[in-house]
Amino acid sequence: MDDVIEAEGLRKTFRSKGRTVEAVRGVDLRVRRGEIFGFLGPNGAGKTTTLRMLTTLMPIDEGRASVAGCDVASQAALVRAKTGYVSQLGGSDELATGRENMILQGRLYGGEKAAVQRRVEQLIDLLDLRPFADRRVKTYSGGQRRRLDVALGIVHQPEALFLDEPTTGLDPQNRAGLWDQVKALRERGTTVFLTTHYLEEADALCDRVTIIDHGEIVAEGTPAQLKSEVLGDAVTLRIDGEEDEVQRALSLCASVSTTEQASAEGDLLRLYVKDGAAALPHMLRLLDEQRISLSSIGVAQPTLDDVFLAKTGRSLRDGDPRESPEEELIGA
Amino acid sequence: MRTMKDTSLFFVRHSLQMMRNPVWMAVGLSTPLLYLALFTPLLKQLANGPSFGFGGNVLDLFLPGILALLAFGSGISAGFSTIFEMQQGITERFRVTPASRLAILLGPILSGIAWMFLFDAVLVIVGALFGFHVHILGLLVLAVLLAAFMATMAAFSTAVALLTKEISAFAAVVNGINLPVLLLAGVLLPISLGPGWMKVLAHFDPLYYLVVASRPLAAGTISGSNVWIGFAVLLPLCAITLGWATTVLRRVVA
Repeated sequence: MDDVIEAEGLRKTFRSKGRTVEAVRGVDLRVRRGEIFGFLGPNGAGKTTTLRMLTTLMPIDEGRASVAGCDVASQAALVRAKTGYVSQLGGSDELATGRENMILQGRLYGGEKAAVQRRVEQLIDLLDLRPFADRRVKTYSGGQRRRLDVALGIVHQPEALFLDEPTTGLDPQNRAGLWDQVKALRERGTTVFLTTHYLEEADALCDRVTIIDHGEIVAEGTPAQLKSEVLGDAVTLRIDGEEDEVQRALSLCASVSTTEQASAEGDLLRLYVKDGAAALPHMLRLLDEQRISLSSIGVAQPTLDDVFLAKTGRSLRDGDPRESPEEELIGA
Repeated sequence: MRTMKDTSLFFVRHSLQMMRNPVWMAVGLSTPLLYLALFTPLLKQLANGPSFGFGGNVLDLFLPGILALLAFGSGISAGFSTIFEMQQGITERFRVTPASRLAILLGPILSGIAWMFLFDAVLVIVGALFGFHVHILGLLVLAVLLAAFMATMAAFSTAVALLTKEISAFAAVVNGINLPVLLLAGVLLPISLGPGWMKVLAHFDPLYYLVVASRPLAAGTISGSNVWIGFAVLLPLCAITLGWATTVLRRVVA
């Protein structure tokens, strides 16, 4: 019921030099109040385009969307007032100090001078900006700059905060720090919508995840749901024997009712099994009865990368060809 | 109300940015003085020739032209910072706020005009030391035209930057415009030297109207027909260009 971000049938098509690219093809979204929502997909999948439509930066071709109860197309000014947005680029003024940047941004959102100054003090504490708040942004490290970017996005206490690839380019320590800060925002009631192509980020941070590929939603749910529904656990068995025994082992394991997928590579069996930990003793007994011996056993919880692979047939990690129609075709 | 407040916020931001950019300040101050130092000696001979039919101090003729040139130069280059700000995500950061779109455009332009006036003042003062006759009232009226022209060029330049989105295409457009606009306006060499078709073509060059109005104004003649025509052409053009640029800012996806 209480959805902060809603979208139905969003579409966006770019035309450039006789080419037509359907960047977003009928996207439906529902983001509940107070959750961290991950919008996941490879570069060029339509993440940023969707985000730009939801934040009023780009007109919607077809479909409708509302943010914080206001229609994105017809009530753009209200949406802007209730929404925070931190782009991949950040966009703070390098020649100004962090504090000056925050005060200007707060004033642009309509805040009165004194109120904005008080709010900036809060933000300095909230995002740990104190040691460098009065230095020019030019001198900031990547992590400091990112924290300032987030501060600029929440200076007006928005109901919904959009973060576009918030941790790209950050080292692991700063990334973990930013995750904590995003979680702290949720504790204070802000709804967070973030795009990422880091699966472990979505896994660690997001309450719910939607995967987009080629402009269409291919999966949605909590990270745990997605991982369990799609595949079950990844079970690997190394067979101590000849090709013939490997094949017999493969058909035995495939016959187990909870096995979703089974394949052999050399002497290695790769299985996706629902509740693998429970199925494994049963499999081992079957193999033992046939006198097939094993040299190693592995059970791994699937990752979101496995989900992505299953849903799109590609791995997010190694695929990632930088064909990004949204970048070059924007507004053309 | 909202637009005025937002405009003043963007005005202050832009002014501070410029002040903190020492290279820009140095170039801004030195350019008019270089014109004065390097250009006027070249034209000393020409000024008293038949094409000009102009007695008196050479600066009385050329200083208003340099003022017009500065207005053109500072206006047309406004788009370079637009491109930079687009690529830094700054434009986007402003566009997601409810700030007035006109203010996003107008704040930096007004700040640019203020800086231009500062450089103009330096030019006039230095010029006066070398014999330029200062007519305060005429110069104040000229300032209105200079501001309107600078705003027109800056709005145009910003809109072109928003549409081209990258530096090489934008620079190509600006360079392509520079030469014809400067030559046809008769800033450097009087258009009266050219053939008839050039004189006709000059009337399609907005800078021409500024240049022909600037000379009587600098000489203290406020009611000349060139002055009225200058206002009649440049003020509406300014309004139209600002309107167009605001539409571009609203629509274009930067």
